[in-house]
Amino acid sequence: MSGPGSAPAVRISIESACEKQVQEVGLDGSETYVQPLDMSQNLARLAQRIDFSTGSGGEDEAGGSPSGRDWGASEPEDEEGLVKFQPSLWPWDSVRNNVRSALTEMCVLYDVLNIVKDKRYMTLDPVSQDGLPPKQNPPILQFVSKKKSLTGASHILLKGAERLTKSVAETQENKRQRDFNSELLRLRQHWKLRKVGDKILGDLSYRSAGSLFPHHGTFEVIKNTDLDWDKKIPDDYCPLDVQIPSDLEGSAYLKVSIQKQSPDIGDLGTINLFKRPLPKSKPGAPHWQTKLEAAQNVLLCKEIFAQLSREAVQIKSQIPHIVVKNQIISQPFPGLQLSISLCHSSNDKKYQKPTLEKSSTEDHLYVLEHNLHQLIREFHKQNLSSSVMPHPASAPFGHKRMRLAGPQAFDRSEITSLQQTEGLLEKIIKQAKHIFLRRRTARTIDSLASRIEDPQIQAHWSNINDVYESSVKVLITSQGYEQICKSIQLQLNIGVEQIRVVHRDGRVIILSHQEQELQDFLLSQMSQHQVHAVQQLAKVMGWQVLSFSNHVGLGPVESIGNASAITVTSPSGDYAISVRNGPESGSKVMVQFPRCQVKDLPKSDVLQDVKWNYLRGPFKEVQWNKMEGHNFVYKMELLMAALTPCS
Amino acid sequence: MTDTDALRNAKRSTRIDAWCGYTMEAPPVSAMPVSGGTINMMEYLLQGSVLDQSLESLLHRLRGLCDNMEPGTFQDHEMVFLLKGQQGSPFVLRARRSMDKPTMPWHLRYLGQPEMGDKSRHALVRNCVDIATSDNLMEFLLEMGFRLDHEFVAQGHIFRRGSMKIVVYKIFRLLVPGSTDSIEALSLSYLVEVSVVAPAGQDVISEEMRNFAEQLKPLVHLEKIDPKRVM
Repeated sequence: MSGPGSAPAVRISIESACEKQVQEVGLDGSETYVQPLDMSQNLARLAQRIDFSTGSGGEDEAGGSPSGRDWGASEPEDEEGLVKFQPSLWPWDSVRNNVRSALTEMCVLYDVLNIVKDKRYMTLDPVSQDGLPPKQNPPILQFVSKKKSLTGASHILLKGAERLTKSVAETQENKRQRDFNSELLRLRQHWKLRKVGDKILGDLSYRSAGSLFPHHGTFEVIKNTDLDWDKKIPDDYCPLDVQIPSDLEGSAYLKVSIQKQSPDIGDLGTINLFKRPLPKSKPGAPHWQTKLEAAQNVLLCKEIFAQLSREAVQIKSQIPHIVVKNQIISQPFPGLQLSISLCHSSNDKKYQKPTLEKSSTEDHLYVLEHNLHQLIREFHKQNLSSSVMPHPASAPFGHKRMRLAGPQAFDRSEITSLQQTEGLLEKIIKQAKHIFLRRRTARTIDSLASRIEDPQIQAHWSNINDVYESSVKVLITSQGYEQICKSIQLQLNIGVEQIRVVHRDGRVIILSHQEQELQDFLLSQMSQHQVHAVQQLAKVMGWQVLSFSNHVGLGPVESIGNASAITVTSPSGDYAISVRNGPESGSKVMVQFPRCQVKDLPKSDVLQDVKWNYLRGPFKEVQWNKMEGHNFVYKMELLMAALTPCS
Repeated sequence: MTDTDALRNAKRSTRIDAWCGYTMEAPPVSAMPVSGGTINMMEYLLQGSVLDQSLESLLHRLRGLCDNMEPGTFQDHEMVFLLKGQQGSPFVLRARRSMDKPTMPWHLRYLGQPEMGDKSRHALVRNCVDIATSDNLMEFLLEMGFRLDHEFVAQGHIFRRGSMKIVVYKIFRLLVPGSTDSIEALSLSYLVEVSVVAPAGQDVISEEMRNFAEQLKPLVHLEKIDPKRVM
C-alpha cells in the first residue's frame, strides 16, 4: 500500500503491520496465520453485529420482504432457512424478522390512517391524562422497590451517624471531664477543699489565717455540665462552678464616715446605700475565682462589722456607742459622729434607691475603710502568732508570756498589761479622731491664710505620717522679707486628741482639739510676727532697739493673747518709732521727733539753752493705713528710710 | 579537819536526818485528789506508734490535717521524780525542760491515775496539773525529798488542731545520767500521742479525738492504752 503520490516532497509508505492475524507462534518461531475471511463470510460477520433488540416481530407472519430478499441476495439458501433452519444458525434470520414485523406495523398504521381519514368509523381524540392509571402498575412497583432500597440505605447511614455522634459526644464528655478535673486542680491550688460524701466542699473563711469568726464559710463545688449541646458554647464556659452560701452573695463594703451630729436619730441604721458603681457583670456567669473572692470579701466585711459591734457593746465609754442594724455610731468629739456601716448588696437586688442623699459617698473615708481591713488582718495574725507551739512539748497551749508570768514573778501591772489589748473599734475611733483633727487643722490654717494677707502664713505638711500622728510646719512671713523675718516657725504635731505646738525656741504648747484654740494661737503669733519683723528690720537698717516686749501689760486688753510692742531709734538718735501690735486691735505706730523740729511746742522758760533742743519731743501717731506700701514691713522700711537723714 | 568543821558536819547530818525523819513520819502522799486551782483539768489521751520508715507519710498527713501553724519540732529533756510514802503508790511528778529553747520555763506536770472508762468513752482520761516553773525546779524537788526515778530525751514533732495537741516523738536514753550530750534511741519507732487538756466531764472531746484518729487510720492506729496492762 502506498500513500498518495500527489505530494512532491516526501513519499511515505504505509503498510499494515500484519495482513493476516497470527493464530499461533510455534516453538520454532514459525507463525501460523488465520486465514482471512472471504467476502461473504465478512458480510455475515458484520451483519451479526447489528443489534435489533428493540423490536421482535411475530415469527409466524407470512409475506416475504423485498428488502430482506435484497439483503440476502448473496445467500442462496434464503428461502429454505425460513422453516428448516434454526434461527440462531441462520445469520439473517433476525434481520428478516425485524423487517417483516416493521412492515406489518406499517401496513396496520396505513389501514388505520385510512379509516381515520374517513371519519366514519373512527375518530382521533386528544387523550386525557386520566387515561394513565392502567399504565401505572409498573412505576408503582418500581417506586416501592426504590423506596425499600432507599430506606435500607438510609437506615445504614443513620446507624453510622448515630455511632459517630456518640463517639464524638463521648470524646467531648471526656474532654469536659478532663477540663473539670483540671479546673478542680486549679481550684485546689488556691482554696481549701475537702470531700464530704459525694460532694466537694471548700472553705473560703479566714479561719486558717487566724480568724475566729463563727461563720462556716463553706462553698460547694459543682460540675457544670448541664449544657445545651445544640447551642453554641459560650467563650467563658467553665465546667466547674461554685455554690456560695446565700448570705455571702453579692458584694459588700464598709462605709466609714465622719459627719456633723446627725440631724435626726430616727433614720439610724436604715442606711442601705450602695453607691459604688457595680462592675458591669458580664452576661455569663462570673468565673469561680471572682465569685469566691467576692464572697470572701463579704465574709471579711461581715467579720469586721461583727467584731466592731461586739466591741461597741462591750466597751464602756462616756458617750455610749450606738449599734443599730448595720450601723455603728460613735461620738469621737462633741458634735461629731463617726459612723461605720456595712453595706451589702446582693446581685439580684437592683439599686433600691439610686438617688440616695448625694453627700453620703463623698464623705466616705476610704483610708479608714482600708485601715479596718488592715486591722482585722493584724488581729488575725495576732491570733495565729500568739499561739505558738509550746516548749517543752508537754506544756499546754497558750500565750508564751502568760507562762512566763509565774516563773518570772510578774506583778499585777505586768499581768494586766498582758491581758489588755486595744480593740478594733478603739483603734479605728482613734484613727478617725486623728483624721478629723488633721483635716480641721488644715482647714483652719488655710482659712487663716486666705483671710489674712499680711503677714503670710505657709504650711508644709509632711507626706509621711503615722495613723495616729502627723505633723505640719507653719511659717509666718512677710512678703518680700522672707529672708530677714524668719522668727516664727512652728511645728504642729497633730495627735489623736490634741495638737502639740513646738516653737522654734523649743517652747511647747499643747492645744486641745477645739478649732478656736488653734486659730487664736495662730492669730497671736501673727501679731507677734509683725513686731519681730520690725526688730529684724531695725537691725538691717541700722536702727537701735530701745525696748521690746512680746506681752505688753499696758494699753487696752486684747481678747486674744497679748499685744506686743517695740521701740527703735534712728542711727543718729533723732527719731524714735514705737510700734504696738495686738492681735485684735491691730498695729499702732508712733514716731517721736526731736524737740527742735516741733513747732507748736510751748516755749518753756526753763529750757532756754540750745542743748535742750536735742531732747526728744512728743510722739505723733502715724496714719498707718495712709502709708504707701503693700505690707506692714514695707511700710515700716519706708518710714525708717524717711526718718534716716541723708548724710 | 578542825573541830568546828566536824561540828558543822555533824550538825548538817542531823539536820538532814531530821528532814528525812520528818518526811518519813508525815508522808505527803495522801488519798486526796490533786487538782490545780479551782478547775479540775483532765487530759484526754490516745496513743499509738509508727515505725521510722512510715514517719514521713504520717507527718505529711498531719501537716494536711492540722492547723495552719508553723510546723514545730521539739527536743525535751524529761525527768521523772518520785516521792515514796510508807504506804500507797509513790507520788510522781514529771519535770520537763526544752533543750532547743532553753529560755522557756520548765514544765512541771502531775498526772493522775488513768481511767479507762467504759466503751463509750474513746480516750484515756487522767487528772492533770500543769505548772510553769523556773529552772531551779530540780533542786527544789530534791530538797523536798523527791528522788529522780528516770530521765529521757524526747525528740520529735508537734502539731495542733484546735484544742488537740498531736506529738510524734522518739524516746532516747541518756547514756550518762544527767547529761543530755550523749543519747541513744530506745527503739526504731516513734510514739504518737493525741491529747486534749480540758475541764472534767467533757466527753464530747473524746468523740472528736476518735474522729481525728479515724482520719489517721491506715498510717497509725491510735488507741487508749492502759499503762497498767502494758506493765
